[in-house]
Amino acid sequence: MKPISARCLILACGNTLREDDGVGPFLAAQAERRFAGESQVRVICRQQWTPELAEDIAGSESVVFLDCAANARPGSVQLAPVEPGGKAPGLATHHFDAAELLSLSKELYGSLPRISLLLTIGAGSLELREGFSEAVLAALPEAFRVLEAAVRDLLDQPDHRR
Amino acid sequence: MSQTITIDPVTRLEGHGKITIQLNGQGEVEDAHFHVTQVRGFERFSEGRPFYEMPSLMARVCGICPVSHLLASARACEAIMSVRIPYTAAQLRRMLNLAQMVQSHALSFFHLSSPDLLLGMEADPKIRHIFGVAAARPELGRAGIGLRRFGQHIIELLGSKRIHTGWVVPGGVTEPLSAAKRDEMLAMLPEAYANIRLALDWYKKIAGNFKPEIEVFANFPSLFMGLINEDESIAFTVGALRLIDSKGNIVEDGIDANRFIEVIGEAVEPYSYTKFAYYKPLGYPEGSYRVGPLARLNIAKSMGTPLADKELAEFKQLADGPVLSSFYYHHARLVEILHGVEKIEMILNDPNILDKHVRATAGVNRLEGAGQAEAPRGTLHHHYKVDDNGLIKWANLVIATGQNNNAMNKGVLQAAKHYVKDGKFTEGILNRVEAVVRTFDPCLSCSTHAFGQMPLALTLVSSDGEVLDQVVR
Repeated sequence: MKPISARCLILACGNTLREDDGVGPFLAAQAERRFAGESQVRVICRQQWTPELAEDIAGSESVVFLDCAANARPGSVQLAPVEPGGKAPGLATHHFDAAELLSLSKELYGSLPRISLLLTIGAGSLELREGFSEAVLAALPEAFRVLEAAVRDLLDQPDHRR
Repeated sequence: MSQTITIDPVTRLEGHGKITIQLNGQGEVEDAHFHVTQVRGFERFSEGRPFYEMPSLMARVCGICPVSHLLASARACEAIMSVRIPYTAAQLRRMLNLAQMVQSHALSFFHLSSPDLLLGMEADPKIRHIFGVAAARPELGRAGIGLRRFGQHIIELLGSKRIHTGWVVPGGVTEPLSAAKRDEMLAMLPEAYANIRLALDWYKKIAGNFKPEIEVFANFPSLFMGLINEDESIAFTVGALRLIDSKGNIVEDGIDANRFIEVIGEAVEPYSYTKFAYYKPLGYPEGSYRVGPLARLNIAKSMGTPLADKELAEFKQLADGPVLSSFYYHHARLVEILHGVEKIEMILNDPNILDKHVRATAGVNRLEGAGQAEAPRGTLHHHYKVDDNGLIKWANLVIATGQNNNAMNKGVLQAAKHYVKDGKFTEGILNRVEAVVRTFDPCLSCSTHAFGQMPLALTLVSSDGEVLDQVVR
């Protein structure tokens, strides 16, 4: 089975039962609704990023990773390019970060998206409950605006898929 | 002065555990333990819940093998309801369980153990992981990912979710299979066959490089237990348990779920939250036994599918009688993946597989019920008691890792005694002791995971608590 090729892959990660860790899945659900008519956009949401996703990434022209950031200012929204990297020793092999997944895509499939972005929202609380901290709740509209603009920008670029 | 070596946490396992190795004053290994350091409590907090909620609740025990818990739990509930589920539902459940087995075995072999097998036990830990495999043999990495995807996608097509599907319910399944989904699954088979063929051929080429490890990786006589069909072929979802000894003699046969507690007891040790299962007539620990792929292949007379039968015949040539070294769990796992792919194809081609009648209904007809299934790691047993309203009064789960617990501990001791000399150890020795546990692919607690990177520290501590040496990676 070959994963579907996408012009833009939105790849979210998080646990909705760990308060702000659920911001990735929340934004992914919004994106799924917003881009429902766009066949070129694909949304995948997982509790954790696993090696299997390397194949999906390798088949995409661009990717936007969505995650919360435990070490950033609560509610801060950051969009930045991400490069292959990581490969930390002692890997648990169940969960990878964006750089490690890109690295795996390159190693296994010899292919990388032309553009890879990481959108993070600073976590205010990662307690065992649903919902968001006040800081993340206030940041949600901005986070989605940034995500939507990034996806639009990626779709506006020339299609390099063969 | 006695010393203790601690490996905490053990890496590349499902869940979190640690290993301690106790040395005497001469630096010789005196004892070793594999500790499971998590506590769960599912049996207690299910009390008071309606029995029909149990499959969905119990599936949350695990994120890797929730299907096994779903099935064992549903079968325990069906014993309470006294119903036999429709034929097509039974076939669909078989396929679900096999898909889970394929994806779980692929995770164990490719992601967790292939770094040791491909790069060597002594390889630098900085490269001894899935990235090292990807760099050295990308086709192996792709095969692993392909088999994981194959199993996970079948689970998703059947149950609408990759993990924790609610599709299996007491009485059967909630939805029949559509023709479109069946065809999608059939189209995935050629790639799955190619991937497992590649892995089996590669493994058989390199296995000879590990003769020293084969000798001391939990290589000792023990009992073996697993599910088989009436024709003595391997079974995963429906069947009865057989127990054989280390010579291959049948010790117990036809153990159904209701008889399980007649023959299997559980002991407790102060150093682990996981129980230690044993065969009651031999007592504890003499009655300890092994379950899982190695046990299943030792017990079964056939796999019931042509390609896997050829592999089973070859596997049985490894020993005159049951294969005793736990290193061969890796080999057995690959044979089971091949069987899983073949059996899924057979089920998909069953003319009744699209039948719409997939669920039986009933209320509480008995106040006690038990169910069992083969999880990837071995036999899983669920046992419940309910009141007249069907509310759970008592529950007990006997999981595969508990049934392998004593063998894992003995295996860690065997390897530690062989490799640790004069109180000295290297990173490669540390890795070999861990790798003994990895052969069993224990599932300590898949539904909880560490946040961030898992460190591994091996510490040498004197009897008065002084840290004498430490290796961290």
